[in-house]
Amino acid sequence: MPTTPDLEAARAELVAALGADAVLNDPLALRLYARDASMVEGSAGLVAFVRSTEDVVACMRVAARYDVPVVPRGSGTGLAGAATPLGDPLLVVTSKMDRIIEIRTEGRLAWVEPGVFNLDLATALRPLGFTYAPDPSSQQVSSIGGNVNTNAGGPHCLAYGVTSAHVLAVDVVLSDGTVERFGSEAPAAAGYDLRGFVVGSEGTLGIVTAACVRLTPLPPAVRTILLDFADVEDCARTVSAIVARGVVPAAIEMMDQGIVRAVEAFVHAGYPTEAAAVLLVEVDGIDAAVDAQTREVEAAAREHRVGTIRVAADETERALLWKGRKSAFGAIARIAPHYHLHDCVVPRTKLAEVLAGVYTIAARHDLIVTNVFHAGDGNLHPLFSFDRTVPGTLERVLAASDELVRLCVDAGGALSGEHGIGLEKRDFMPLVFTATDLDAQACLRSAFDPEGRMNPKKILPDGARCGDYAAAALAREGALPEGTWI
Amino acid sequence: MDLIHPHAKRDVAVALREASADGTRVLVVGGRQHIDKGNPSDVDAELWTTLLDDRVAYDPAEMLCVVEAGMRIRDLRSMLAEGGQEWPVDAPDDATVGGVIATGGPTIRQLRVGAMRDSVVETEVVTGDGRLVRSGARTVKNVTGYDVHRLLTGSLGTLGVIVQAALKVRPLPKTTRTLATNEGGVELGRRVLGAVPLPAAVLAEPDRVVVRLEGWPEEVEEQTASVRSAVGADEVDAPFPPPPFPDAPIVAEAAVAPSKLGRLLDGIDRYRAMVGVGFVWVPFADQDELAGFRVRVGELGGIAPVVRGPGGLGAPAVPAPGVQRRIKDAMDPAGILAPGRMG
Repeated sequence: MPTTPDLEAARAELVAALGADAVLNDPLALRLYARDASMVEGSAGLVAFVRSTEDVVACMRVAARYDVPVVPRGSGTGLAGAATPLGDPLLVVTSKMDRIIEIRTEGRLAWVEPGVFNLDLATALRPLGFTYAPDPSSQQVSSIGGNVNTNAGGPHCLAYGVTSAHVLAVDVVLSDGTVERFGSEAPAAAGYDLRGFVVGSEGTLGIVTAACVRLTPLPPAVRTILLDFADVEDCARTVSAIVARGVVPAAIEMMDQGIVRAVEAFVHAGYPTEAAAVLLVEVDGIDAAVDAQTREVEAAAREHRVGTIRVAADETERALLWKGRKSAFGAIARIAPHYHLHDCVVPRTKLAEVLAGVYTIAARHDLIVTNVFHAGDGNLHPLFSFDRTVPGTLERVLAASDELVRLCVDAGGALSGEHGIGLEKRDFMPLVFTATDLDAQACLRSAFDPEGRMNPKKILPDGARCGDYAAAALAREGALPEGTWI
Repeated sequence: MDLIHPHAKRDVAVALREASADGTRVLVVGGRQHIDKGNPSDVDAELWTTLLDDRVAYDPAEMLCVVEAGMRIRDLRSMLAEGGQEWPVDAPDDATVGGVIATGGPTIRQLRVGAMRDSVVETEVVTGDGRLVRSGARTVKNVTGYDVHRLLTGSLGTLGVIVQAALKVRPLPKTTRTLATNEGGVELGRRVLGAVPLPAAVLAEPDRVVVRLEGWPEEVEEQTASVRSAVGADEVDAPFPPPPFPDAPIVAEAAVAPSKLGRLLDGIDRYRAMVGVGFVWVPFADQDELAGFRVRVGELGGIAPVVRGPGGLGAPAVPAPGVQRRIKDAMDPAGILAPGRMG
């Protein structure tokens, strides 16, 4: 850990490079950056607001000179602690790099800086007949840089794919201060797919200073259908039944009674508060295809004893239904002052049994749990509501969370569908990977950052490290002809 | 040339551990359908993956399948057809799953079905020194750890032997239809793409534009009408995709930004371009012609690997060569896997 005099000297250099207004000095202000939206709190040694790639390069150089770790941060909405600073690092905040650099509809691409809000990009594209397909629920406040680093999802990723499928290229500043472009405006690039490896790497490989994203044409027709069920299991099984009919809707979102009641009291969208659970299904495409898909969705729901089938009559009603879904995490503040939102993903066919397990775990720990999630992807988001000022509550939440992770893994699932590993799930990694897997990941990580300066202690648990492989490789250095890198 | 033809993943691991210890250089071979892609590489042995061809898991309701990487595309296709689904990569029947992933080529219907690289959600790979490394998960969404499988896609067998993969699959289209126009060119292709929502492919050739449509029957009818509102087009009965230039000694598979296809192909009299995507196949008679084309591709910021005949990858600039080198070292510390094939 750097000593205080080192930090002071580093701060002076940052001020010289970036300007005084770009470097936080006030201890109280530093405290505001001690955590992201997760429950873990750390401490930032330095906080710098970068405005350009050159600023980021300057940050990397200063950090290298004083051997200070670097933690990138976008909007700070991450839920897994990837942007929580540990051990007084330099926190590089990209939120002021918020320009949409260019939109080229003919090439179906746009270049954006990392601080651009997801929804602002989608809004800018809409009048041009396009959208940026990944739409995390946080899209009003989460930035493209953060989305790229968590390989963010969202309701519409069922048909359109997650962030990785929509990022053609990224400009990255590596920890040694070099600037590289990974990927290309072309559909293929030379060398290994470093673009694909950086997407979802939670700021541990470098800092993304621009992203080239793919534009998706707006579908000619969209239909939003609300299905309600008296039984949670019927609701969950309808999801597989829709897919089994050869239909891939744009979105299939599930909400249970607890969340429906909270949302309805909040947005008054006419959600059925007596239903055990509802599905919000959206199909899109050409008119004729939308009709055909709607018929199949309704048939699948009827097979599973659907109550009411409500098809949004117009854009206003559709927007209202989505507002209900997307404001769910705001609405649950009515239940209790604090919440812990989970993210895990299971095989779609296991949804019903895993959900039953979620309720059992909550009951065992005397916790309120509600569920609103991307059912089509098998991506669960159990949400515990509680008051952390009540003694013993946080311990119960953490114990329940631990069981929840194991439940999903035992069902053949993964630790995270879209929020990432960060700090929150780092120590669960050995549940899904062998020591050999984790060591290989550590080696590949250090290929980008040999000094281990980028966002240390995130993603990989202690003990995962790059062993003797690199040393063995060094031993043959010089054996290859000049100019070859492989 | 020695031959390694393993029956099981652990045999792959044993063979590569020995090869690394002995310095035996190994070329990984699947169905030998993409063998010309990559720079020349002197090797001592070939490792054939074709006996690793078991089905591991497939449930249509998951829209995922898990297979060993030596499974032929023909066998995968019939396995998935039983569930009414496909892995939409349009690779040759004799190619293997691992070969398709490792060569990272275009998916001809990419406009509608997405890129192959986004359909590989989990892999097991045996590294050059015989470690079995798994990454990803058997779920359609996942951000758990680093995606080693992303690096394997397009790595031409230089990082390890892919022994198993989980693939995102999708419902077979209810209907398909191929239309062709009487005139050609990239500009006409672009007009067609602008007129038709959600085509599977728009392939521009100098004298025709081929449009592939797929989906629900009513949808394909509506799209057909859209094509014909923009340009005269007749239905074609030939198999899709048509084989690219079967008589040409050299074929390059160039990639440029889709908006640059017109500039790239100006004055070239044989090509097939994926409009809206940016891949284009161009045949050449000799290396001089290829070299001239590569200069133009380079000016437009693209690449032009050869996929049939001699010519390799050319010498495109590679980003972060130090990082690439260290990735290779991490996966293949003894450097035995097809040395030089990637660059």
